[in-house]
Amino acid sequence: MAKIVILGAGVAGHTAASFAAKWLGNEHEVIVVSPNSKWNWIPSNIWVGVGEMSKEEVTFDLAPVYAKTKANFKQAKALSINPEGSESNNSPFVTVEYTGQGKEGTTEDVAYDYLINATGPKLNFGATPGLGEGTNLGEHTVSVCTADHAIHASHELDKCIEKMKAGERQKFLIGTGHGMCTCQGAAFEYIFNIEHKLQERGVRDMADMTWISNESFLGDFGMGGLHFKMGGFVTSSKVFAESLYAERGMDWIIGAHVNKVESGMVTYETLDGAIDTQDFDFAMLIPPFAGVGMKAYSKDGSDITDTVFAPNGMMKVDADYSKATYADWEPSDWPKTLQSPAYKNIFAAGIAFAPPHPISKPMKSPNGTPITPTPPRTGMPSAMMGKAVISSIRDMINGAPEPTHTSCMAEMGAACVASAGKGMLSGTAAAMTVFPIVPDFKKYPGTGRDINGTTGEIGLAAHWVKHLLHHAFIWKAKLKPGWTLIPE
Amino acid sequence: MSEEVKVDKEHSHVQHVEPYTPQFGTMIPSSGQKFMRTCVIWQIIRFIAINIKMTTLILKSHH
Repeated sequence: MAKIVILGAGVAGHTAASFAAKWLGNEHEVIVVSPNSKWNWIPSNIWVGVGEMSKEEVTFDLAPVYAKTKANFKQAKALSINPEGSESNNSPFVTVEYTGQGKEGTTEDVAYDYLINATGPKLNFGATPGLGEGTNLGEHTVSVCTADHAIHASHELDKCIEKMKAGERQKFLIGTGHGMCTCQGAAFEYIFNIEHKLQERGVRDMADMTWISNESFLGDFGMGGLHFKMGGFVTSSKVFAESLYAERGMDWIIGAHVNKVESGMVTYETLDGAIDTQDFDFAMLIPPFAGVGMKAYSKDGSDITDTVFAPNGMMKVDADYSKATYADWEPSDWPKTLQSPAYKNIFAAGIAFAPPHPISKPMKSPNGTPITPTPPRTGMPSAMMGKAVISSIRDMINGAPEPTHTSCMAEMGAACVASAGKGMLSGTAAAMTVFPIVPDFKKYPGTGRDINGTTGEIGLAAHWVKHLLHHAFIWKAKLKPGWTLIPE
Repeated sequence: MSEEVKVDKEHSHVQHVEPYTPQFGTMIPSSGQKFMRTCVIWQIIRFIAINIKMTTLILKSHH
């Protein structure tokens, strides 16, 4: 009997755990370790942040779902990996510290035969002074990264709306809180949902709305932008995004590294080296992501964290990490099997794997400050990686010598639906597909992507799709009847 | 005292755009395009089209 341990129960981890329990649960042991007791459909946190959904609509308890399967759920956070075991224990194991189930603070060594690292990111609020301390949000800004953060954001938004109704103008600042952020899409959705909300509440003319981002152009999205057919042209996402901001009356600051947040003001540096400030009454700034800070130890107890993890704390996999300059980058640099090169029974999926490099061209200000979006790898790619990794592990348990499935961001596409306002008849969203995620300028000269597989449009239909996905993926994650029919 | 100018209805949704600002230098939707974005009959057709596109993409991406 093999023991499969999955660290994390987000999109990648929960997908892997669900298929592990289905395929392997009868004969093998599946253990899921997550510090959170609840699963969260993060894309809908945007709607919690504008008071259009409750926390209960976007979360559910994980324990009853795993109780339905043969998976063993431990509400705990992973502290370290001993991939060779220890002097007193020959089996590889993970040391975890409980965060719930009545065992808070106690540690346990959980042995494994196969390990999937799908911990997701550490929300690194502490990287920007004033944005927060460590993983905790600070007092000056709001966040929609978790359902609880989004509830707080919604309450703060309500206060601003009341002030505007009383005749007080309000300044909104939404975007990224550091030069190395990813997840611009979440901030993009939030600024448009706030604008829609303010229109509905009749106070839009009392609001000054500004977007601030580390993208070198609007519509970069951490993917170096994308191109699709529109109106007889192959059009850049820069035009697509700028058009939306212009239509909705928003200003934008791009190529910006926020280096300090104070009460009602951010200080930022732009790619031209200028240092400037921006006032706000309400600000939602996405923090940069980092690895969760796990350590790795060899059998004799020496620290091998550098062997297993990249300097940013993400896990090294079968990527080519040697390409330092943009000119040298190739699609083949991106990992395929997501297997650790050092330990063949360890895999990483979702945000937890270390990308070989960004997708967007790296840029620095004249002062040397890096201002480059890091690659997005949430949502659909995460789920596909989770499924590919557990498929390989299933086959390796059954005798395959190597991983049998791949999930490479240079060979897969992604579908993204970005809400621009909620309402069954008044809502809109931007529906985008991109193929492949990592551009291939040799195969698709000029744009880097298949212009028949890369599309974008704005409208009510896309809002319906986003609503449908909300219900479909929560149904799937709860492992309700027919869940396997809903594709990743 | 200058006479108040009635805003052309084709431009009412973009009357906030000021000349020589970044917003002035990009594509802005026509009123017809704006209407189609929430026209239910057209959007039902687009809903089907988006689902087909996304399903095709998903099938192409699994290895």
